[in-house]
Amino acid sequence: MATDTAAPQIDVAPPRGWRTWFTQENIITTIVGLIVAVAVIVPLVALVINSFLVLDDLGFDTEWGLQNYRDIFHGHVIRKALVNTAIISTGCTILATLLGVSLAWINARTNCPFREQLEPFNLIPFFLSPFVGAIAWHNLASPKVGLINNMAKTAFGIDFPLFNVNNLWGVIWVTGIFFAPLVYLFVVGSLRRMDPSLEDSARTTGAGLFRTTMTITLPLVTPAILSGAIIVFVTTAGEFGVPFKLSAPFGWETLTTQIFTKAVGDDANHYLGAAMSMVVGVVTAFFIWIQHRIIAPRSYTTVTGKGFRPNLIDLGRWRWLAFAYNLSYVCVAVFLPIICLFFVSLHKIWSGRIIWSELTFWNYQKVLFFWWPESIQAATNGIINSFILAFGGASIAMVVAIIVSYMIHRTKGFGARLLDFLSVIPIGFPGIVLAMGVLVTYIRTPIYATLWILLLGYITRFFPYGQRNISSIMMAVSEELDQSSRMAGASWLTTLRRITIPLLKPGIFAGWILLFVIFLRELSISIILYSAGTETLSVGVYYLSNFENEPMTSALSIAQTVALLICIVIFRKVAGKEALTA
Amino acid sequence: MSENNYLQVDHLVKYFGDDRAVDGISFGIPEGKFLTLLGPSGCGKTTTLMCIAGLHKPDAGEIRIGSDPVTSIEKRINTAPEKRNIGMVFQSYAIWPHMDVTQNVAYPLEIRNMAQSEIDDRVAEALKIVGLTDMADKNATQLSGGQQQRAALARAMVFRPRLLLFDEPLSNLDLKLREQMRVELKRIQHEIGITSIYVTHDQAEALVMSDEIIVMSKGHIEQTGGPHNIYARPVNRFVSNFIGVANLTEGRIVGNGGGGAGAIEISQGGESVQLPCLLADGLSEGDDAYLSVRPENVDASRKPMDGPRIEGEVIQSVFLGNCLDCRVKWGEFEWKVLAHSRERLRVGEKVYVRLDPDHTLAVRP
Ligand SMILES: Nc1ncnc2c1ncn2[C@@H]1O[C@H](COP(=O)(O)OP(=O)(O)OP(=O)(O)O)[C@@H](O)[C@H]1O
Ligand SMILES: [Mg+2]
Repeated sequence: MATDTAAPQIDVAPPRGWRTWFTQENIITTIVGLIVAVAVIVPLVALVINSFLVLDDLGFDTEWGLQNYRDIFHGHVIRKALVNTAIISTGCTILATLLGVSLAWINARTNCPFREQLEPFNLIPFFLSPFVGAIAWHNLASPKVGLINNMAKTAFGIDFPLFNVNNLWGVIWVTGIFFAPLVYLFVVGSLRRMDPSLEDSARTTGAGLFRTTMTITLPLVTPAILSGAIIVFVTTAGEFGVPFKLSAPFGWETLTTQIFTKAVGDDANHYLGAAMSMVVGVVTAFFIWIQHRIIAPRSYTTVTGKGFRPNLIDLGRWRWLAFAYNLSYVCVAVFLPIICLFFVSLHKIWSGRIIWSELTFWNYQKVLFFWWPESIQAATNGIINSFILAFGGASIAMVVAIIVSYMIHRTKGFGARLLDFLSVIPIGFPGIVLAMGVLVTYIRTPIYATLWILLLGYITRFFPYGQRNISSIMMAVSEELDQSSRMAGASWLTTLRRITIPLLKPGIFAGWILLFVIFLRELSISIILYSAGTETLSVGVYYLSNFENEPMTSALSIAQTVALLICIVIFRKVAGKEALTA
Repeated sequence: MSENNYLQVDHLVKYFGDDRAVDGISFGIPEGKFLTLLGPSGCGKTTTLMCIAGLHKPDAGEIRIGSDPVTSIEKRINTAPEKRNIGMVFQSYAIWPHMDVTQNVAYPLEIRNMAQSEIDDRVAEALKIVGLTDMADKNATQLSGGQQQRAALARAMVFRPRLLLFDEPLSNLDLKLREQMRVELKRIQHEIGITSIYVTHDQAEALVMSDEIIVMSKGHIEQTGGPHNIYARPVNRFVSNFIGVANLTEGRIVGNGGGGAGAIEISQGGESVQLPCLLADGLSEGDDAYLSVRPENVDASRKPMDGPRIEGEVIQSVFLGNCLDCRVKWGEFEWKVLAHSRERLRVGEKVYVRLDPDHTLAVRP
């Protein structure tokens, strides 16, 4: 009736050429992409350029050359730092992986008693500052002022120090227990949601429980374990606070502590610092690339449906051993450090033992009462600055994250692919490396020595975390929800306001709090970019630890920890239990 | 002719990369009619619908609604989706989970800045039509699949759009509900008299609901026609195969008696028969063609029947009550037969197959 069936073949070539490129989507995504690109790429390019500039002996002029790199690989101190970094990263990765996988398995797949109550505590170290952990363990187990050592002496008359964390082992220990939750989070999701029929079918072929766990369950989560291990390796290689506190003062420098001395201090040499950052950055970026390109795509889809409960393994009497193991982890990673810090902070002078008659809140007055003339500026400034930075930074970073995710998942322009790529890059570079790049880029601009440069560093390094949070929800929310709003007559902007953003709300809150936590405890970017007046909380802790005493350091550490713990509670409220699991 | 159509699509082309998802298709639909785009997965149905909705921009072609050209690549017109005044029901229903049913349905009216009293009236009316009055305050997440479906329909039609688009709206429902909703959807469409385009890959759905069906494959149109026409007179092998069940075998046109009647010769294992048939448009003597005949128009019997003889062996026989579902092997070819005879044909028996000449078709390859 009303149609002409045999449409004449019409010749239209596939769209090509510059004209078709200028669509709204392409233009807008490209502009946003360029802004993000400038923020992300420029510091890295500046880092590369500066690493090839060699400072002359007088320290005034520079010339092009490879001398910085020669210094790194031939200079005795730096080469040793390189080796130390490798040892620490490897050791920490092994420890954190063993802890993370075993805890995830116990919590997700066994009938270990109280596992549901223990799980939130297993994750607490993820939110706390490893630097503060190092300070706590220094006060727990350093040879002279270590609480444990002194207690052992009083109780059992052990004369030699029982533990000594002031060496590489100490760094591995503290980073290992603090980064275990990273592995945990990578693994626990797939363990928990694994289709039970995968294991059941192994059981029906005659494989026993242990055999099934070893030959089916663990291999299935191996890609997740490897991903977690690589992230830990990279995070440790970029960790500054722990080696700075525990090993560097005793002769075990790492690359990050060396970069720090080249960035600030009397014999600062930004060019050499840039070259060292390059070395760290190239290695970490390579590992992250492997994780993204090779390991993550290989992870198995073990989740075939929803709503089933995985098989719980009955450990019999051994379940109490699992419980004891889990509880011990929580003790050494959470309770012991916090309790120790608390007691240390109540002393005017810390001598390694608790003197009950001399407990006082005096240290808290010194570091918290910013209106009090005798308070310590670096600490009180740090508190105020950190809250400003955390609040502003988290808010701006989430706005960027929303825009970037929206463009990646809801537009098809060229900029969308560019943005997808750009938001992986910062994850590949440790904070201290990126901060070095930001420093050499902006050192001659007015934003240097203001809070703005810190804000820029924070957002550039961490907006991908928020972006991932939003993206995962955006992928789960059907695009048809947006499209039907357009069909109902709403414009693009109205749709964004009334449909898209409200649907993303839980993710936005969760991402915001996560970034707030990260910024509140941030050390390795701040330590490079701060200057007098723009200290942050962690820089304040660093300052007290370096120029004041342990009790005052502990007081500020406790203050930071309490703030972070409050954030954890809020995070769990808004984000729900599974929010963090990959 | 095309001037009478309410919606007219002309020479629509849409690329994804180098793939022509839609390959220059044209069709139209008169006001108030129900048109179905039917075709296998990936043939470009959704893409066509998205172009009409304005959610995709085609690379060439024109789309006109009433007298309003909403898309014309040549004239650089491409009206934004929200300006087109088209209602759409998605496969996933796309009920917004952060709003209740009333808020969902009221949304298009709020966007149009209507007075609250009018919104209330219209929402109530729409919910009544789809039978969701009792669910008005329920949250979207509390609705069953069928109810979400109804809510989506209410939301799509509450603002009295010029056109209603459906993208496989029933494919997420279970069989029983699907059959019930087919009738329901068609009733509602008829009641409000709105011009509709419906996308599906389910031929039964298309046959039940449509005034007109467009069969598509690989981005172009294979055949257009009413349900009866598409079923009874497929024009080519693809349509004959895709709609219903058909006996399809290669042959050659050997006679053209004029007026669409003719004869086709088919052969198997050295044996050839010439069968009287109806020729599809464009076929003439000597052309390669396909014989297409539906099982219900084929009979089998032990006794030879008049007309051309096809003798074969029963290899399967299933009693269905009103008829017998048999397979008869003739050379390499297996005839699908719904035998009406009262004879109980048994596997292994020699039988004669007879095709009803009024329903035997020669179709284009
Ligand atoms: N956004 C897109 N990007 C790239 N290719 C696409 C996109 N959307 C569709 N295609 C391709 O265009 C072709 C037609 O897709 P379309 O969605 O229109 O098919 P369909 O007929 O609706 O199929 P189905 O019944 O499976 O929904 C397919 O080959 C598909 O792979
Ligand atoms: Mg489709």
